[in-house]
Amino acid sequence: MQDVATPTLDYTSETYKDAYSRINAIVIEGEQEAQNNYLDLIKLLPDSKDELTRLSKMEARHKKGFQACGKNLNVTPDMEFGKAFFAELDQNFQNALAEGKVVTCLLIQSLIIECFAISAYNIYIPVADPFAKKITEGVVKDEYTHLNYGEEWLKVNFDSVKEELEQANRENLPLVWKMLNQVTEDAKVLGMEKDALVEDFMIAYGEALGNIGFSTREIMRMSAYGLRES
Amino acid sequence: MFGLIGHLTSLEHAQNVAQQLGYPEYHEQGLDFWCAAPPQIVDDITVTSITGETIHGKYVESCFLPEMLTQRRIKAAVRKILNAMAHAQKANIDITALGGFSSIIFENFNLEKNRQVRNVELDFRRFTTGNTHTAYIICRQVELATQQLGLDLSQATVAVCGATGDIGSGVCRWLNAKTPVQDLLLVARNQERLENLKQELGRGKIFSMENALTEADIIVWVASLPKGVEINPEKMKRPCLIIDGGYPKNFDTRIQEPEISVLQGGIVEHALDIEWTIMEMVNMDAPNRQLFACFAESMLLEFEKWYTNFSWGRNQITVAKMEQIGEVSQKHGFEPLLLAEERVSAHQA
Repeated sequence: MQDVATPTLDYTSETYKDAYSRINAIVIEGEQEAQNNYLDLIKLLPDSKDELTRLSKMEARHKKGFQACGKNLNVTPDMEFGKAFFAELDQNFQNALAEGKVVTCLLIQSLIIECFAISAYNIYIPVADPFAKKITEGVVKDEYTHLNYGEEWLKVNFDSVKEELEQANRENLPLVWKMLNQVTEDAKVLGMEKDALVEDFMIAYGEALGNIGFSTREIMRMSAYGLRES
Repeated sequence: MFGLIGHLTSLEHAQNVAQQLGYPEYHEQGLDFWCAAPPQIVDDITVTSITGETIHGKYVESCFLPEMLTQRRIKAAVRKILNAMAHAQKANIDITALGGFSSIIFENFNLEKNRQVRNVELDFRRFTTGNTHTAYIICRQVELATQQLGLDLSQATVAVCGATGDIGSGVCRWLNAKTPVQDLLLVARNQERLENLKQELGRGKIFSMENALTEADIIVWVASLPKGVEINPEKMKRPCLIIDGGYPKNFDTRIQEPEISVLQGGIVEHALDIEWTIMEMVNMDAPNRQLFACFAESMLLEFEKWYTNFSWGRNQITVAKMEQIGEVSQKHGFEPLLLAEERVSAHQA
């Protein structure tokens, strides 16, 4: 019998901490973006104010958890890097918000950012330090148990939003691959492999698209869009 | 509902199939992409038994490719299988066969301890390797193709290449207990396992592959290697029957030597057409009727509502279980693939 080797990681090494300063920053920034985006969405979806506020608060809690993970390893997150990392995606969200394009906003936040986060957390958990592992497991549990607001909204309105979703997918998914490429090396230092991250993202994103109403053929096209050029 | 977890035979094959099916995002991609590609349900299947009963199933493409093993992308290979299993379970499939390399990877990399896949806790009772049915079909192919060629098993030397594997050991047990085969040559890499098997059978000769191939009247090939082995037919006995149950197939069925007959092992033919498209992609001669016996096992378990991992673990295949699955295989209209008529007459000419 062979076992698949899991790398031994030195959580206290400078190499690990250096990479962690950027990965931790994007996770914190990602949760911050989510917190803001849900509040911003209230402008377009005033009827969902309570639900969106609740989600925003949940993301704020997650952010605090990840800040504690950095502190626990004596790492200062490179927040400048984190902000730059999300800048383009954030800009697209802000543009859509200004134009009142709720479908595009939901695709960016509820599908792309959520799936990006959950897949990264899934791949991170087996290689995380014990403290971060516990925190991340709690976050993932939260993410899975809360009914995905955006997914449900898009599902109900599928016929009228399908075209805009496909367009928004074309505009935003390539950004995900670009973002992933930027942190491939750092993620590797933390024991996370790029192909595993991409795969988990495509699984989560594909599942979400399937729940909304897309066919397998459409999902395969949409979830791999732009990957080849990345 | 039953399920089949399958994969394509090479990167080139995968690229061609993606092109045929109209997935440009997939067909122009290299191995890196397939290492990151998620499992997908790409086919709905309807099977009708000769008893009249109809069942439905789904084909789960795992996106695994044998190159992941040859190029040591082991982690990716393991993820493909676990993710495909989680995908099948999430789709509420009651019983799913692990086709091709799926069960081999599951066994060799000890995946039984990886029960948790994200938010899915795998329920292994929902999966079967399908190996019991494959072993049964291969044994029936030995018996029936021998008759087709007018050979006599009681005077035949049978070499089993891959004898200590799950299917191989099942085949040895059956040939030993249920046929009058004269000599049994056991071929495998692990000497200790070979000795154990020989002891269990109370007979058999341990042979190197090279020697076995020149000594045997009938060769049963059940070793699965990521890359096919090229075998030179020159030194083989005449006449010789080869049942190639390996994956992928090692022997070219088009061998033109009149006295050497190669039969694709572990393949069944159903009495009625099966509604699916995926089998056209794996180059079966009669894609509406022919399929891997391991896949057929999940169909049989569905027909009989035996929702359990009928074939599981290594070297658990008993003659009794082979008889049990064999009985329902016949009941529902599955027959072992046999030699084509022209092959038989060429052999006898």
